[in-house]
Amino acid sequence: MSFRIRLLLPLLALFVVAVGYPLAFSFYISLTNYKITNRFDVKFSGLDRYADALHDSAYWSALTVTFTFVLIAVFLELALGLCIALALQRQKRVRDFTRSFLLSPMFITPIAVGLMFRFLLNQQLGVIPTLLSRFGISYDFFGPGRAFFSIVLIDVWQWTPFMVLLLLAGLESLPRQPFEAARIDGASTFYTFRRVTLPMLSSVLVVAILIRGLDALKVFEYVYAITRGGPGTETQTIQYYVYNTGITFFRLASASAMAYGLLAVVMFLVILLFRRVERARRS
Amino acid sequence: MKAPTRGDADGSGLVSHGPWAILGKLLIAAGFVVVAMPLLWVLLGSFKTGAQLNDPTVLTFTPTLENWNTVVSSGILTAAGRSVIVGVITVTLSVLVGSMGAYSISRYKTGGSATRFGILAAQVLPPAVLVFPFLALAYDFQLNDTLAAVIAAHLSFVLPVVCWFLIGFFDAVPIALEEQAMIDGLGRFAAFRKVVIPQVAPGVGAAAIFGFVLSWNDLFYALILAPGNSATLPVRIAGFNTFRGVELGAMCAAILVSVVPVLTATFFVQRRLVRGISGGAVKF
Amino acid sequence: MASVALRNVVKRFGKTEVVQNLDLNLNDGEITVLVGPSGCGKTTTLRMIAGLEAVTDGTITIGDIDVTTREPKDRDVAMVFQNYALYPHLSVLENITFPLLARGGQKPQAQRQAKEVAEILGITGLLGRKPGALSGGQQQRVAIGRAIVRNPRVFLFDEPLSNLDAKLRVDMRTEILRLQRQFGTTALYVTHDQEEAMTLSDTMVVMREGKIVQQGKPSELYSRPVDTFVAGFIGSPQMNLLHGTVVDGLFTSEAGFTTPLKNAPTGSLTLGIRPEDVVVGAEGSHQQAKIEIVELLGPRAILSLELPSGRMTAVVDAVDMLGLTEGQVVPVSVRKENLHLFSAESGQRIPTE
Repeated sequence: MSFRIRLLLPLLALFVVAVGYPLAFSFYISLTNYKITNRFDVKFSGLDRYADALHDSAYWSALTVTFTFVLIAVFLELALGLCIALALQRQKRVRDFTRSFLLSPMFITPIAVGLMFRFLLNQQLGVIPTLLSRFGISYDFFGPGRAFFSIVLIDVWQWTPFMVLLLLAGLESLPRQPFEAARIDGASTFYTFRRVTLPMLSSVLVVAILIRGLDALKVFEYVYAITRGGPGTETQTIQYYVYNTGITFFRLASASAMAYGLLAVVMFLVILLFRRVERARRS
Repeated sequence: MKAPTRGDADGSGLVSHGPWAILGKLLIAAGFVVVAMPLLWVLLGSFKTGAQLNDPTVLTFTPTLENWNTVVSSGILTAAGRSVIVGVITVTLSVLVGSMGAYSISRYKTGGSATRFGILAAQVLPPAVLVFPFLALAYDFQLNDTLAAVIAAHLSFVLPVVCWFLIGFFDAVPIALEEQAMIDGLGRFAAFRKVVIPQVAPGVGAAAIFGFVLSWNDLFYALILAPGNSATLPVRIAGFNTFRGVELGAMCAAILVSVVPVLTATFFVQRRLVRGISGGAVKF
Repeated sequence: MASVALRNVVKRFGKTEVVQNLDLNLNDGEITVLVGPSGCGKTTTLRMIAGLEAVTDGTITIGDIDVTTREPKDRDVAMVFQNYALYPHLSVLENITFPLLARGGQKPQAQRQAKEVAEILGITGLLGRKPGALSGGQQQRVAIGRAIVRNPRVFLFDEPLSNLDAKLRVDMRTEILRLQRQFGTTALYVTHDQEEAMTLSDTMVVMREGKIVQQGKPSELYSRPVDTFVAGFIGSPQMNLLHGTVVDGLFTSEAGFTTPLKNAPTGSLTLGIRPEDVVVGAEGSHQQAKIEIVELLGPRAILSLELPSGRMTAVVDAVDMLGLTEGQVVPVSVRKENLHLFSAESGQRIPTE
């Protein structure tokens, strides 16, 4: 067996065990009436579970909630992250400490962040509503119509640093000289940003959006810690809904089918993006 | 706009004075406040009694250690220990296996773009898809509520991420180094071990830490696969999720147990992380 | 078009003074070349004029305006970088129009000007391409085009030809000279290549360790170098610098070479002889030396001559090479008119007239 195949084999094996087999098994489950309480009496039911999911309005609602969440959150994180990365790049003093400190939220376990904000923003016990009321503002962070945005804000708090990390790395990998040329050519700071920095950063931006976007689809901890999907189904994200279906209601088959539905959508988007990037790179 | 004057050695093309720079500094200051406030609240909260916590207007208080006592005696440190075990095993496996495979993919283009895409795809899988098979398999093998199940599940998302980073790093090592080593008499594997590995070592360190943090912070898999006796730290923290005042203080302490080690680690590692990422993985 | 003046300019990085109390004039409409070994401060000086490096002390004036604290874009200078510094994501046309558009110019007008410049530089066919698809020489032309299109008051060249291969370098050199004559813009050109310096400069400035050692017309620096450093730096192959003593009008070098020397002070000194002033094979010469190595260069040959305890280099025209081969022992003498005398301790020139 050639050298390169031998090197790849352990990785391949582990992939099959940790990813491939579960993926296939999950598909199998979705085609049955598998229940964790009823594991040995499994009947094949074809695409019934998929049909059920398509007719389940809660499923569609969860998908909508999740995708809206991703769009808003990632956009905010990108904009904020870019500004902060630019600011950090210029900083000379106390550089390491500032960066470590500002990057820290992304390293905290999300359930901890969720619980932190649950109580920070709580109407009775929270510091922030109390502060706001001093200015005459009464805002129920987890009330109807507001809970969704509060979850978005929590995600922004935790994950903007991640964007900052990626964008900072991208910025620092850009060549210096075109920027010096721009200074001499007479470009203002904003002009340089628009015409030089941003275009050169485009491939990094795509990667950052892709990674963060895919990650944001999995949002679960904040919902689990604070709203449990409510008020109503306002914050019921897909991951939470699937969790509920599978674990709280033991309906693994339905849950698997729903998850596969999501996977199909995600894969479609990823392939689309991949193709576009390949095309751009080749030109 | 004024050029930097008197004593500023700046040739990087970046202006450190002027209106934009002031905006930048304000932004950073604001960032500090926004990041610090919740953390500070948690820190202070861990030393407050239940009654003090119920009243958000309390500004001064005498600290108490009762929350910390509660938390420590509740076995939080054991849970933290379990998280460490899971993280270390997951990352070690990922790095060992991943580095060999990544080298094969990077140098020899094994499998072409299909393998690279496959790894990307694996990163993308929603946990919802994989968790139930893991659960079913765990029951089948009598491994439900054990760390083994959690490790297997964690591999599903740490392995691809580590591989992705490693492929990027290997891509960045010039092939001339290995060719020189082989001319000097080393075999292929020895060249890999002695010449290439040291080159990517700092980046691998960054990737390893990244992977460890991913594993350390996971709730979803751990909650479903090991909710009881083998609870990891995030699961334990989730257990403090009630409204009673007493629990609140203990929750704060528990959160700090999770947060402080990670923060100290990242403080030492931040520079390497930025360099490691810009060195390899940000290229698509 | 303007003259540039640096007065008492100092540049310090931390504790190190990289440029020390520099007084420099760039004459209006001329090319001034700053030349010197790596680390002598020439690039730093250039960057200070550009505004990319802050001045620690002193003033810089362009025309009559003090620009010491001004941003690069407010100085009306253009720069050609060693690595071209082209915008990698923009086409050649967009690269050249960038400085015009950045200052608020209109696109059609800017494109017209850019196309004119491209015509002059012979890169009209490349306007649609990106820098990545161009060769080094082509990229350098685009960089020059970007500098010309603004018609600035000063051109700054930071070793622009160092990354090109030898033949291209010579061609581009002539091109740059032609362009500067055509536009008549004041130019500062930095290089470590003394040949480039000689051919390009109206005024040549040799720098060393942050100070100006000698400046003037290239012919002046060549025929009357002010110390052994300049003497050894300019001219290829390098001038022979022989240490020795003068006794009774006869110079004896430590290497074993002797020659009569009038008007020289008694005692030790350093004698400078350019290789082309070393005569090989002439009768009547009482010195002998063995030809160690012959390097043929087409119209000339460089001979490495072995002396009793040293070496000497001679340059001989190809026509005179008849019969001279490696290993041969030949008579050696020097042309008396072109001898350079330097103090043995300081290296400073000793005037002979």
